[in-house]
Amino acid sequence: MSGPTTGGAGGGAKPVFLPSAVDPTVFDEAFLRQLERLMLVSRSAVRGGLKGVRRSVKRGQSVEFTDYRDYALGDDLRSLDWNVYARLEKLLIKLFIEEEDVTVHILLDASASMGGGAPDKLVFAKRAAAALAYVGLASYDRVSIAILQGRVARRLPAARGIGRIFQVMADLSAVQPSAGPTDIFAACRHYAAQLRQRGPLLLISDLFDDGIDRAISELAGTRCEVAVLHTLSTDELDPPLEGDLRLVDRETGAGVDITADLGTIDAYKARLADWQAHLEGISARRRVSYVPTPTTLPLADLVFAELRRRRVVA
Amino acid sequence: MTLLAPLALLGLLFVPLIIAFYLLRLRRNEHAVSSTFLWQQLVRDVEANAPWQRLRRSLLLLLQLLLVVLLAVLVARPTTERQAGLARDLVLVIDASASMAATDVAPTRLAAAKRAAIAALNELPSDGRVSVIAATETARVIANEASDRGRVTRAIESIEQSAAPGQLGDALKLAGELAERARGAEILVVTDDAASGAPDVAVGAPVRVLTVGMDRDNQAIAALAVRADPSGLKRTVFASVANYSDSRVVRRLRILADGSAITARDLQLEAVSRADVVIDELPAGTRVVEARLTEIPAGEAGAMAGPRDLLALDDAAWAIVPPDRLQRILLVGPGNAYIQTALSLLPNVELYGATAEEYATTTGKDKFDLFVFDGVLPDELPDAAVLAIAPPSSSPLGTVTGTITSPAIGQGGTDEPLLRSVDLSRLHVARAQRMELPDWARMVLPTATGSLPLIYSGLRDGLATAVIAFDLRQSDLPLQVAWPILASNLAGELLGIAPTAVEPIAPASPVELPLGPGVVALRITRPDASVTELAPGATGASSVTFVETRQLGVYRVEAIIEPEASPSPGSSPSPSPSPAAFPSASPAAASASPDPSASVPPSSPEPSDDPGIPVGPEDAPLFFAVDLFSVEESNIAPGDGARLAALGSEPDPEVAEAGVARDEWWPFLVAIALVLLLLEWLVYERDGARRIAAGTRRAMGSLTRTRRRAS
Repeated sequence: MSGPTTGGAGGGAKPVFLPSAVDPTVFDEAFLRQLERLMLVSRSAVRGGLKGVRRSVKRGQSVEFTDYRDYALGDDLRSLDWNVYARLEKLLIKLFIEEEDVTVHILLDASASMGGGAPDKLVFAKRAAAALAYVGLASYDRVSIAILQGRVARRLPAARGIGRIFQVMADLSAVQPSAGPTDIFAACRHYAAQLRQRGPLLLISDLFDDGIDRAISELAGTRCEVAVLHTLSTDELDPPLEGDLRLVDRETGAGVDITADLGTIDAYKARLADWQAHLEGISARRRVSYVPTPTTLPLADLVFAELRRRRVVA
Repeated sequence: MTLLAPLALLGLLFVPLIIAFYLLRLRRNEHAVSSTFLWQQLVRDVEANAPWQRLRRSLLLLLQLLLVVLLAVLVARPTTERQAGLARDLVLVIDASASMAATDVAPTRLAAAKRAAIAALNELPSDGRVSVIAATETARVIANEASDRGRVTRAIESIEQSAAPGQLGDALKLAGELAERARGAEILVVTDDAASGAPDVAVGAPVRVLTVGMDRDNQAIAALAVRADPSGLKRTVFASVANYSDSRVVRRLRILADGSAITARDLQLEAVSRADVVIDELPAGTRVVEARLTEIPAGEAGAMAGPRDLLALDDAAWAIVPPDRLQRILLVGPGNAYIQTALSLLPNVELYGATAEEYATTTGKDKFDLFVFDGVLPDELPDAAVLAIAPPSSSPLGTVTGTITSPAIGQGGTDEPLLRSVDLSRLHVARAQRMELPDWARMVLPTATGSLPLIYSGLRDGLATAVIAFDLRQSDLPLQVAWPILASNLAGELLGIAPTAVEPIAPASPVELPLGPGVVALRITRPDASVTELAPGATGASSVTFVETRQLGVYRVEAIIEPEASPSPGSSPSPSPSPAAFPSASPAAASASPDPSASVPPSSPEPSDDPGIPVGPEDAPLFFAVDLFSVEESNIAPGDGARLAALGSEPDPEVAEAGVARDEWWPFLVAIALVLLLLEWLVYERDGARRIAAGTRRAMGSLTRTRRRAS
């Protein structure tokens, strides 16, 4: 990563060192600066990378001792602690922490509803995915990114090692909002079914879906450490609407007639707060981290403040 | 309730129209959002709260429908009917005379009368017709059989306060005539009924009276005049102040001469009394005397001042001082140094002389004020005052029957004005004409027997005339102290040196203004400084009549001279004789010189200007004053109107069917409509209103916080 950064972000629209597949409007100069800052900070602070990447609950083959247990027939004799046997004449097996090859799962909702808002939610989601991927890659984890569209989760090629960050950015650049409706629940179930390696799982979505409760449950059922990054744009948090309007859903095309006045907007805000509280409640019950991420949130704050506060990042 | 225009309820058809518009309305603007997920829930929430929520949403519609219904009802003119209190044909007489300016009813009695009259119109039947008469100095019809209340109200409002005594009798007579046009008509008089006697008219319709006014506290200047004393040298101001109030008051009378105060006197006025004030110290040359009656400032007299003066119109008066005019005397005869000396010493007198022969050919005789015939008599007596001394023959002045020698002098009357300060007890007369006392004359000085007159005086055909029956040179009268005094008294009586002051003019009465030669128009400045120009109706007119004397105060009259008139009198087109027309034109200055040795005859008379005309090109402006010297108006004690009501006839029971008065509801409905409109606007703009309210709350909150922090 040091190579590209020393090259400096040029004055042009697209930094010269970026692969041509990387969309410069998404991963623009400001993002790269943030990424640079992320790198500097992560050298000391984020040694551990994403939580769970380091430690596994499984005991296994490693150098770090953790516990003893009684010998049982068929255990590897190499694990017997002969010193204890010599002293106590008891057969005890030494247990070690297993060091796993951990995969960081990033689920990016690319439904039509993500393709709007100001600032654009999908752009924010791509940047957030890239930043989180970077953190994962920096701690030598496998990073698996999947795009939720339609009823499926389309996996991008898994990446490992910091050098792949540009590949990840290029892959993310190619993501476009879906044209048709998206069923998050179905897509999540699809991903969960394919999931083999456990690890932190991050869902980046606006969660505008009837089946979002079941989707969260489904993800929680994978026994991964799930975090939901609830992305909402400013015009969703505080809609600048006035007058008699027909609101048209980008995803379904369905219309809702409203008369937008202060009362309506207040009611909407109250409704939004209720909904967020509801999502947070569900998430807490399923031991899922729920992180509201407005699209105005700087990525560094997202990674180092919001995610760390919620113990998503170690 | 009845509807005067029920067809207007068709306007209710707008109600379905508005509902249809509501159903058809709103092509909503489409707005793309990421998801309507939350909005759908919201709409479900809203609908779950129906019907109140639905009602709130359609509040605008509701208000608009209400408004339309209200407007339709409004146009349909709902009314309630009740028995009318007045006849169908009403003649309304509103007194606007000077006493109606009294302020015992705020703001004035006239304003209160107008209010009462307009209020009384509510009692009129709906098809009632009203004629309105304003009773000022004249009776004026300002609305005739009007059925439009608005017009009647405007007509009533247009009545202006008059400063003149009112003629309620004329107005009632006119009202009676108007009332006779319709059967069952009624007359309603709104007045303060402050006149002392009821007008002497009979009215053929019932008369109702509404009276205004409560108090009678008024003080007035009842008279103001300027008089000359008998010598004609001094002017005296005479003022009379009347108190019509029934309590004792103290008032200050200020006298102003040409606008500057010369004296002020505090007068104690008993209840219902008059006080006369004489002021001698009038400065010379004063033209206008003004008297003002004021209340004494509170600090000076305290409680002594008494109740306040309710009528201001009669608290000021003006008087015009007659100008000192040169009087011209023509002495006809052989010449008499004594007469010349005595007459030429008189103030403001110009003496001319002529012999009997010259007199016959003299023109312009009408320019002299007095002819003195000393031992001669013309065939035809002039049309002016005459003093005949020893008339040689019989004439209209008196019949000469012979002569008497050395008559014993009798005793003149003690109160004879000609003999005031004159002692003729040592008079000796050598020879006198024996005359008979004409019936127009009064004996001034008889002979001792009392039968024959030596001096007599009187008004002969309206002309002041005096006769001295003896030649002065046949007596020792010229050598006595009494002679100049007698001459002065004679001149005073014959010339009218103490002329009556220019009489004040009653408000709104016409004034005849003389036109001098070459004067084409008169410029008249009213007391309020407005100017009007008055041109005679026909060329050659000698006077014009000015009628706009409604304002109290001093009017100033200036002559406008025809611009092309040459200053040379010879070319003047004036019909009056010019000095150039005299046959022997020579300056008459010598005649005025009191040189007793000057031989008679002096030069031929030639008056230098037109003495008889007070206004002319060369003259100073003429003034006249309009004063309200009216007991009727100053005595503002209100009456009960019974005398006026008694003038009317009994109402005719056959036609006295009461009409129906209608009270329309529209003011009430319009008020509701306005409230509805306001509500509608508020509902439509409620976001803005709420935003303003929230902003105000925030501002108030931050203010309290700042204050708390400061404390």
